[in-house]
Amino acid sequence: MRSVRILIVEDDASLAAGVAQILQGDGHAVDTMKSGEQALVATGLEHFGLVILDIGLPGIDGFEVLRRLRSTDHRVPVLVLTARDQLEDRVHGLDVGADDYMVKPFAMPELVARVRALLRRAQARTGPKITHGPLTLDTVARRAYLGGQPLDLAGREWAVLEVLLARVERIASKESIIQSVASWGEELSPNAIEVYVSRLRAKLEPAGIRIRTVRGFGYMLEEFKGTGEPSLAPQES
Amino acid sequence: MRAVSSLRVHLLRLLLPPVALLLGIGAVAAYFLSLEPASDAYDQALVDIGLALRERVRVSSGSYTFDLPGAAERALRTDQFDTIYYSVRAPDGAAIAGDPELPAIPAGRTAENGVLAYDGLYRQQRVRVMAMLLPCDGGSCTIYVAETTRKRTALARTIVLSSVVPALLTALLALSIVWFGVKRGLAPLEALSAEIRARSARDLRPIDVAHSPDEAKPLVQGLNQLLGQVTEANRNQQRFLTNAAHQLRTPLAGLQAHTELALTHPVPDAVRGQLEQVHGAAVRTARLASQLLALARVEPGRKPDASARVNLRRIAEESADEWVRRALAKDIDFGFELADAEITGEEFLLREAYGNLAHNALEYTSRGGHVTARTGIRNGRPILEIEDDGPGIPAAERERVLERFYRIPGSPGSGSGLGLAIVREIALAHGAELLFDAGADGRGCRATLAFLPLSQASP
Repeated sequence: MRSVRILIVEDDASLAAGVAQILQGDGHAVDTMKSGEQALVATGLEHFGLVILDIGLPGIDGFEVLRRLRSTDHRVPVLVLTARDQLEDRVHGLDVGADDYMVKPFAMPELVARVRALLRRAQARTGPKITHGPLTLDTVARRAYLGGQPLDLAGREWAVLEVLLARVERIASKESIIQSVASWGEELSPNAIEVYVSRLRAKLEPAGIRIRTVRGFGYMLEEFKGTGEPSLAPQES
Repeated sequence: MRAVSSLRVHLLRLLLPPVALLLGIGAVAAYFLSLEPASDAYDQALVDIGLALRERVRVSSGSYTFDLPGAAERALRTDQFDTIYYSVRAPDGAAIAGDPELPAIPAGRTAENGVLAYDGLYRQQRVRVMAMLLPCDGGSCTIYVAETTRKRTALARTIVLSSVVPALLTALLALSIVWFGVKRGLAPLEALSAEIRARSARDLRPIDVAHSPDEAKPLVQGLNQLLGQVTEANRNQQRFLTNAAHQLRTPLAGLQAHTELALTHPVPDAVRGQLEQVHGAAVRTARLASQLLALARVEPGRKPDASARVNLRRIAEESADEWVRRALAKDIDFGFELADAEITGEEFLLREAYGNLAHNALEYTSRGGHVTARTGIRNGRPILEIEDDGPGIPAAERERVLERFYRIPGSPGSGSGLGLAIVREIALAHGAELLFDAGADGRGCRATLAFLPLSQASP
């Protein structure tokens, strides 16, 4: 994974320093700001690959920072940190454009995992191409490649794979897959989705790409671990 | 102030003596007012007999004789109810005819206007006697006419019945009007107290003054003022807790971050062990802080917004990523069986309850185990359920696990024992039941939150 420049906006110096050191250890350049005003100035001047934003800031709060950031058309991924674990705040945060949120206190490996996932998602889609490990989907030419070799995908398999790639490392419910895949009022049964997924598995698993079944819910395209990339597995907090 | 146990009894106590006195006086007055004219009429009949008897007194050469044919005497003495006696005495006092033993005029009384009425005893019977002084041949004969008192007693009884009975009925009526009138008059108060009784301890909304009777308004306003103060105190507590949570969690997050950071560096094994201890303590303290906050949020005084509809299915769906991720880290299969289950409730609290049950299931299920989150309608009630195939909760412990800070002796994991107490509080706040039993095939634990159907939940 390419290393990027990350901005941490957090008024607690100890926590900010800890997060910064962890992310530096993961190979990123890290800047730390103590207030929303400073953060907005910084994002106006520099390009960041990711912003980690605390909600409870002195002065303008994290929501306001996020709103102003998005209103100036910054597509930078934002991971919101909040001590207020009320759902209202979560929904509010995701509504105004946060890409993910974490409730304080959080386990550091989980933060690292989320940061990596956000960066992978941001980097996976460069232009018309989506990549995931050895898999590349060219969405314009509608061609798939696995390890450089053309991969033959039926229309529905392609559609299911696209949904899974868009939600990589997160669960895609069967319902959401059906909604994305079914066209023009056509009925698609959950069983049909199972068939497409099992065909995809047959084609992708030999290359180390795993699609996990979440019993009674849907599927999850797992993080690709075949390249020997060091991994900090999420732990329980 | 004297304690008044019952307004009704109090009112009756006040009313009963004057009502009884008035009715008593009325009854006595009616008795005498109607007895006297009737009695006078009977007396007059006796006087008439006396007058007829006088016609039978004859005087010849200074001696008085009385001549009454047998038939006439029988007619005279005949009465349907009573026996009539008479006695005729000459001016010199000699008995001429009749029953000479009739009681004489009581000492000290004289017949004014020639007539005197008095009561006496004759042949062991009460009698009414009319003594008359009547002119007979220059002198004055005394004629006594007496009558037993059967008629008069019957009359008196009739008068008593016709005056006292209605009076008693009137009294009863008056008292029952008071009894039921008080009940009726107090009906708005009853309704008010029923409304207050029906409230849960969490419902601190003010009582509607407009619907209270005028007399009860000061009481209701006083209550509302108190409710307002309690609500305000609760709000202050909420603000304090929210601030405390923020103040506590950020440094805890820092502590956690730094110990984790330190653990990524090569450190001597002895120090590593200590660092891991510090890290574990930081993680547990942080979770404990979150749980205390959640527990405080469901303390009485916070009533879930009854208008907020929550689909329990969404609660499970929205946090699916988080719990599946955690389960994967422990190599546990976390699955779902979700159907729609709408209730009214507070989403944050329900999410907290679900999270605590899910956390417990993951905590006590070993690697390779299964956890299933379930929502839907069972027996007409919306349910939220977590089932695992871990060691389960022994039946004897199922009550105790709901106590704060209680942990089953010897159980693994590092919980504080607050999780299920929080779930129970949240269940109470939503009028839901929290049930524990074994999972499928009698293995593991199945924790079920059974809510009220939507139709019953809305007030």
